[in-house]
Amino acid sequence: MRFVFTNVGGRRWRRKILLRLVCALLLQIFAPARMHSQSADAERPVPILSGNAGFLTSVTAGQTLLDTQLNPVLLVPVGDRWLIESRGEFEGEFQRAPSGSFAGPVNKHLDYLQADYIANSYVTITAGRFLTPFGIFNERLYPEWIRTLQPDPLILPIGTASSDGAMLRGGFAVNSHANVNYAAYVSATSIGVNGVESERQVGGRAGMFFPGPRLEVGASWQKALQDDRKNAFGFHLAWQTRALPLSVHSEFARANQGSGYWIEGAYRLSQINAWNRVMRRTEVVGRMQQFFNGAIGPDEAASLGLPTANTREADFGVNYFLKDGLKAVGSYGRQLSSAGNLNQWAVGIVYRFLIPLGRGDSR
Amino acid sequence: MRRVFVLSFALAFTVAASSSLLAARSPNKKEEGTTTVASNTNADTMRALGEQRFRANCGRCHAAPQKFPPRAMSTVLRHMRVRATITGEDMRLVLFYTTQ
Repeated sequence: MRFVFTNVGGRRWRRKILLRLVCALLLQIFAPARMHSQSADAERPVPILSGNAGFLTSVTAGQTLLDTQLNPVLLVPVGDRWLIESRGEFEGEFQRAPSGSFAGPVNKHLDYLQADYIANSYVTITAGRFLTPFGIFNERLYPEWIRTLQPDPLILPIGTASSDGAMLRGGFAVNSHANVNYAAYVSATSIGVNGVESERQVGGRAGMFFPGPRLEVGASWQKALQDDRKNAFGFHLAWQTRALPLSVHSEFARANQGSGYWIEGAYRLSQINAWNRVMRRTEVVGRMQQFFNGAIGPDEAASLGLPTANTREADFGVNYFLKDGLKAVGSYGRQLSSAGNLNQWAVGIVYRFLIPLGRGDSR
Repeated sequence: MRRVFVLSFALAFTVAASSSLLAARSPNKKEEGTTTVASNTNADTMRALGEQRFRANCGRCHAAPQKFPPRAMSTVLRHMRVRATITGEDMRLVLFYTTQ
């Protein structure tokens, strides 16, 4: 009896200590918020509505598709440290019906709806629905106004479905020659609500950026905590050469569903002297990619948006920047696959908008 | 499964706490550094630094946008601070470059 009483007392004592420790750590995390409580009025952020709209016409293996996209991004800053951000996707895919007119579905879903707390210079805490940081395309290059070729890379569906959960991310300088960035996340299963599904998984991404050669290399990892509990991993590279206006991006991904890579180079023709006004607004792009089948069947692969057979593809494109935020795009791709070879043509126009929801200036 | 959750939570918590402690240890240094940058360098230097940081952080993915109003740009940069994991000092310099 006496022993039991002592044990309960010990437990309580341990619980108290643990509670105090957790409180102390939480205070450490959130305390720096007070340090910068006064931001300059001129730079006090206002909510904004941004995003892009695009209209693309593509012809894949002789089949014409009219693709209309609207991706509104809402950013609501709260105080000095918080940001609530969200992006939706509305996409109409219209194909020629036997009657002759174009018809098709309008898909809509929520890409992310997250609350960010900038704890300090090194850590941001994110909760909600967020873009899964696997590789770089999904998080950084996906918007139509940013991507240099409109067709998605073949390996994009690997590891990039949005997550519902929490994430820690940030970056810091190791020294003047190297910066490190990282993201670590936990996601819960979310089913039943159309458009916000997610899987139970953990993962992370780490990258190293060298400002001298403007080179970033990094790796991603993801482990599913449901079904077959498979691992996925990937590597990425981003390089902007100093001598030429050339930007190179590349990714490799390997998972149960398949593996593959893509490498892409975008060259701005600003160094060409002839027709300089036109050339400096013109960008030529090339992408090479390959996909290898995984351990899943063709039907499952198709449902995930992956090729159903081993595939190679080469794409070439031209982008012309009409004015800031508005560009005309065009591309041609040749896909070689055991399921059949095909040509892909795409032309279109993409517009990026930004509307302050309040006074944008300081007056 | 439970162990993975506990381990990942512990790891995440340790990272947050240690970095926070690191930041808390030298807040004045950072503040002083920022103030020094703001007070000792003229606008041209700050703009040049801002452009340099813009090219290093933002230029990896997209070209420089047109100049937006400062308060709208401030929101964009908060978003990019999270998305592109840029530091607070870089954010201030890029804000100066993109708005002044």
